[in-house]
Amino acid sequence: MESFQEFRKSISYGSRNNLNFKFLARMTDEDAANFLEALLQQLSVFIDTHEIEPLLKLIVEGQIKAYSGTPKYQYAEGPFAVMAKPIRSAKVGLLTSSGHFVDGNDPEPLGVKEMSQQEAITRISDFIRETPILSSIPMNTLAEKLMVRHGGYDIAGALLDANVVFPWQRLQEMVEGNHIDSTLSHAYSFVGACAQGLLKQQLESNWGPLLLQESPDALLLVPA
Amino acid sequence: VGHVARFYEAQGVPTVIVAVEAFRDTLEGMHVPRALLTPFPMGRPFGAPGDSAQQSDVLKMALNLIEEATTSKTIVHYSRS
Repeated sequence: MESFQEFRKSISYGSRNNLNFKFLARMTDEDAANFLEALLQQLSVFIDTHEIEPLLKLIVEGQIKAYSGTPKYQYAEGPFAVMAKPIRSAKVGLLTSSGHFVDGNDPEPLGVKEMSQQEAITRISDFIRETPILSSIPMNTLAEKLMVRHGGYDIAGALLDANVVFPWQRLQEMVEGNHIDSTLSHAYSFVGACAQGLLKQQLESNWGPLLLQESPDALLLVPA
Repeated sequence: VGHVARFYEAQGVPTVIVAVEAFRDTLEGMHVPRALLTPFPMGRPFGAPGDSAQQSDVLKMALNLIEEATTSKTIVHYSRS
């Protein structure tokens, strides 16, 4: 007989994997039970009202509760660069950890050609030990040429509209609307589920010089 | 992307992070320079697919935060304008 703990663990990279609800594995049995009870109640309301917002709010609250607590990385202070010019005069870059890349320029993580999303999920424990690969994405890339693969989150929303986590079109519209002056020629993306020590090495040796050569005034960063 | 933010800030480039609320403790712990937390499900920090108005609203607030923040660890919550 499967225990409740085994059930909720199976939702996080197990037999019932669902990346939207993998947070259940981080909860106590009591918190997970309370969440599922509330979810069923809210679904019952949804049947008649078709109001999605209360349901989304409940899911977000569950995610917040599950991921609250002492973080793995803690720093007493951090660097802070003062913005030297008005944002409307700034050249702004975009860098996300959403796992986007351009069709035909697959970063081939773990040395695998044309890795599927399912394989990325299955091999998530390999990814988190791996050096991240930065994909350069021209800002004028068409939506149909933009690909995404990331074993750490549910990419369904990003497949419908990449701007939910890789807002390259919204950023270009900021130029057209005179909210900023310009963007870098490329946006950048990598799979955030990676070895943090190796990420810092990549920043020092490769990613830093790559982005800084275009002299951005500011960077927009988006974790998935 | 906390380490990414810390790296570029140290190089003199201001950054702003747009993340879902679930990342709040992680970002606070990393003492990131600026972050805008949004009330959306994980994987959709700019809101719902196809809702370009909301995505733009989030982005404008984030861009303004780059200019407005005066100290490190300026972490604010998104509210629709």
